[in-house]
Amino acid sequence: MKKDLMKVYEIDASRFKGSALDVVHPATIMEVRSVVARAKRIVLRGAGTGLAGGCVPLNGLDVVLDMSKINQIGNFNSERRTVEVEAGVILDDLQSYLAKKNLEFPVNLLNNNVCTIGGMIAMDIAGSRAVKYGKTSNWIKWVDVVDGYGNLHRKGVTELSDYAGMEGITGVIVKACLKLSPLKKRTASLIKVESLEEVVLIVRNLKRNPAVSMIDFLDKKISKGLELTKDYYLIVEYEDGSGLLKGKEYEDLMEMSDKVYSFVVNKGYTRIEDFRIMIDKFVKLMGWLEGVGIPTFGHIGIGILHPCFGRDDEKFIPEMMKLVKRLGGQISGEYGVGILKIKFVEEGDKRILINVKKRTDSLNKFNVGKMI
Amino acid sequence: MGEKDKPTEQDKIEADNLMEEVAEILELCIKCGRCKSLCPVFRVLREETVSPRGKVIILSDKILDKVIFECTLCKGCEQKCPLNVKVCDAILKAREAMVLRGKGLKSNEEMVGNVRKWGNVFGERNVKGDCFGDEFKGGG
Repeated sequence: MKKDLMKVYEIDASRFKGSALDVVHPATIMEVRSVVARAKRIVLRGAGTGLAGGCVPLNGLDVVLDMSKINQIGNFNSERRTVEVEAGVILDDLQSYLAKKNLEFPVNLLNNNVCTIGGMIAMDIAGSRAVKYGKTSNWIKWVDVVDGYGNLHRKGVTELSDYAGMEGITGVIVKACLKLSPLKKRTASLIKVESLEEVVLIVRNLKRNPAVSMIDFLDKKISKGLELTKDYYLIVEYEDGSGLLKGKEYEDLMEMSDKVYSFVVNKGYTRIEDFRIMIDKFVKLMGWLEGVGIPTFGHIGIGILHPCFGRDDEKFIPEMMKLVKRLGGQISGEYGVGILKIKFVEEGDKRILINVKKRTDSLNKFNVGKMI
Repeated sequence: MGEKDKPTEQDKIEADNLMEEVAEILELCIKCGRCKSLCPVFRVLREETVSPRGKVIILSDKILDKVIFECTLCKGCEQKCPLNVKVCDAILKAREAMVLRGKGLKSNEEMVGNVRKWGNVFGERNVKGDCFGDEFKGGG
């Protein structure tokens, strides 16, 4: 590829800018195997929408392996409710395919119209419906991965943790067999809440209701930005008729929750974090975030919060990470560690990751310089 | 442009000015990649270079490559952009700058020549049908 055009692959949605040795767009799994076998270092790229620099090539040494063209959907099994998809399939395309069969892949996220299945597995995305459906890995039967020698392996559920959520440092996920769920008719409610303590009580109650599939939180700043009153709000989605908003009103509410991202970036909050905490620590963390004036939203149902930092506020991030760790939380709930959060990874976790990396990628070929 | 294939000093200045305007339009972009979802060119070709974000990155670095002609100007990207970046406006200006610098596409030049000479893009003397009206019919 021309050097000038390679610049396009040297960034993602984070602010990191790297440099690539080359860029390749394999169109088949065989081509992936051949590229992997020949290259010394490889960076994997799905939609390139990561916020932690996970697909940014480093020091002009990495070959970028763009998986976008490997995008076949096939082997649909209606009895077992499974479908096989290649890594570059876009989630929305899969959902459109499945909707005709009255099924869906239940993991849903904010940018479902661009994100690829390979990227979702590599990051083990939680998404907005994780309170009911869990993470992406819960919905995978097996994955096909290419190792550093270019060999193809099928990994079942027991070995999945070596690849799901490993941010592409252990191998190339080229194909997966996904479990499916019946297509639901959903309703929702927008609940105004007076205090953070009350948020915790309501969330705890909602989590006992099996029909609840999403509990998202908006703080006062974000609510005001979305033209609601300056209060805390919970967006609650139900998979029965319990929600007050149905049909068009439900669609409108979901559209409004999609606008959160537009609002925060428009206001200059371009660094969005994604820590995960237990619900009983929510009040303490939110108190701290409000104290330093950081707008926050998130999937409170599973404890993932997205505080949004402007350039001037980024000085607060290390302190926030310390607090998250002190309260027993995780520094990243769904965006991954990438390059951005390497410095916040605990030594113990790093040792585990290094062991997995050595075991699965003995040639140290994939996404070097990321996560560990 | 004055003489064919040879940009004058004035053309170069105009092209530079256009590229300044392009950079100004695109400086808001945060490279989130949401623009890709509605881009018909990306959806078919599946290469980041032809995606709106790809073009933004190239143009922000003031690189003029023929890849910017791989856009239908449908504004789907603008509809999805959280910051309302006017990507299509920037691409139009960049195309203009490319032509001024003598880097326009040969096929486009041929089309313009055909329209001027024959009144149609195909370069045929007798184009059947009169959907463009009599005044646009082939002549010569």
